[in-house]
Amino acid sequence: MSAGVDGFSVSDSSPATREASQGVPSAADDIIRCDALTRRYGAFTALRAIDFRVRRGEVVCVVGPSGGGKSTLLRTINGLESFDEGSIVVDGIRLPGSRGDVIRIRREVGMVFQSFNLFPHMTVRRNVALAPMRARGVGRDEANARAERLLRRVGIADQIDKYPEQLSGGQQQRVAIARALAMEPRVMLFDEPTSALDAEMVSEVLQVIRELVGTGMTMVIVTHELGFAREAADRIVFMESGTIAVEAPPRQFFANTTDSRLASFLSKVL
Amino acid sequence: MHFHFDTTVIVRHLPELFAGVELTVLLVMVSLGVGTVLGMIACIGKLLGRGLLCWIASAYVTVMRGIPEMVVMFWIYYCGPLILDTRLSSFAAAATSMSLYAGAFLAEIFRAGILAVPRGQTEAARALGVPELFTWAEVILPQALRMMIPAFIGVVTLIVKVSGLASAIGVAELVYQANIVSGQSYRYFELFTAVGIFYFALIFPLSLLAQRYERVLARRTR
Repeated sequence: MSAGVDGFSVSDSSPATREASQGVPSAADDIIRCDALTRRYGAFTALRAIDFRVRRGEVVCVVGPSGGGKSTLLRTINGLESFDEGSIVVDGIRLPGSRGDVIRIRREVGMVFQSFNLFPHMTVRRNVALAPMRARGVGRDEANARAERLLRRVGIADQIDKYPEQLSGGQQQRVAIARALAMEPRVMLFDEPTSALDAEMVSEVLQVIRELVGTGMTMVIVTHELGFAREAADRIVFMESGTIAVEAPPRQFFANTTDSRLASFLSKVL
Repeated sequence: MHFHFDTTVIVRHLPELFAGVELTVLLVMVSLGVGTVLGMIACIGKLLGRGLLCWIASAYVTVMRGIPEMVVMFWIYYCGPLILDTRLSSFAAAATSMSLYAGAFLAEIFRAGILAVPRGQTEAARALGVPELFTWAEVILPQALRMMIPAFIGVVTLIVKVSGLASAIGVAELVYQANIVSGQSYRYFELFTAVGIFYFALIFPLSLLAQRYERVLARRTR
């Protein structure tokens, strides 16, 4: 064994990093990588050997009929659902793994739920400041300052001392987005973020998400808002019956006429 | 037939009656204190869903809720000594049986309160990477406790009412005192009217509190 410390540092050049440095898409660019992911609920198979990748900085919208596995896929990525076969790698952390691995993934992955799930017994400020304090050990003052900054960014700064029940649905969802961002995640997952909202509040939430797209945040968005998907996504994934039936950039996605299931879905929702 | 309601007999025996109220309150407080601890342990046992503690907790709750409190009290007072070889004082026997009784009811109330916290709350905390301990301490339990309060007050009133049974094993609480003094004066009507008023005075404020809290909760959860 002659390789000393010096020799080691010189030869540290794995195939992946070489490829990445040349700008070739490779595994190293994938922040999320699901391989042959299968999830069953008794006799029902929610995910059938799904292969799903998300590159750093990419915005992926997942669409499709209800019960197609969209939410299950999202919830599996941050360990809210377990899976039966396959593997997930998020930012280098692999599942199935230890409990610690699941927690590490959750800290890197922000999640926004359809039903907001804000903590009703805490002020808006506390909702946003809690996780940085408890999961990252950030001091109270800094966590509060961070909360105020993020709430200003999503346009809720004047409601900071109110309780969630005093806010409209759109405002609550914007708080939920700020709460997820407070952990400074590398990826944001949105599970039908506008589905529980009245029509007039959908646009204010989409506007916040749109601004996030502008910052280069990696995002996976399960949505029924096809107009939004067309405009914001780098890639649209169509899921049906637990499989990814079609995935393509928006222009090609909407021009797709070969997949009958997608055509049937689009004819119903457009 | 003529009956004269003699209020002076109540006034004359107020010291005895107040001594009884005092012991009733003490008995209720001890039983609720110990019962709360027992209830928490049994609640955790049942929430675990399997294992020895779960089995013991389920058996305890089911048995206690299926037996009259009087039987439990008599059993501990009269049969306990045959097994344990020491006789508990009547107060200790009453407090023990009432604690067991309160614990069984409270276990179910605690469990129901925790299960009533929406799953989305736990999921949101987990998705943020908040450690399990903080998820319980700051997200689940504060919400569960609020929902438990009306039912908890219900158990408090139940235990106040049940405490009268302790007179049967010689605890000198309110019913016991009333029995003694009315036995001397033959003024059962007056004295047990007074007993009723004392119990009502203990329980009614609690009922009001529970009602008010239920309205608050109804408004919050919409």
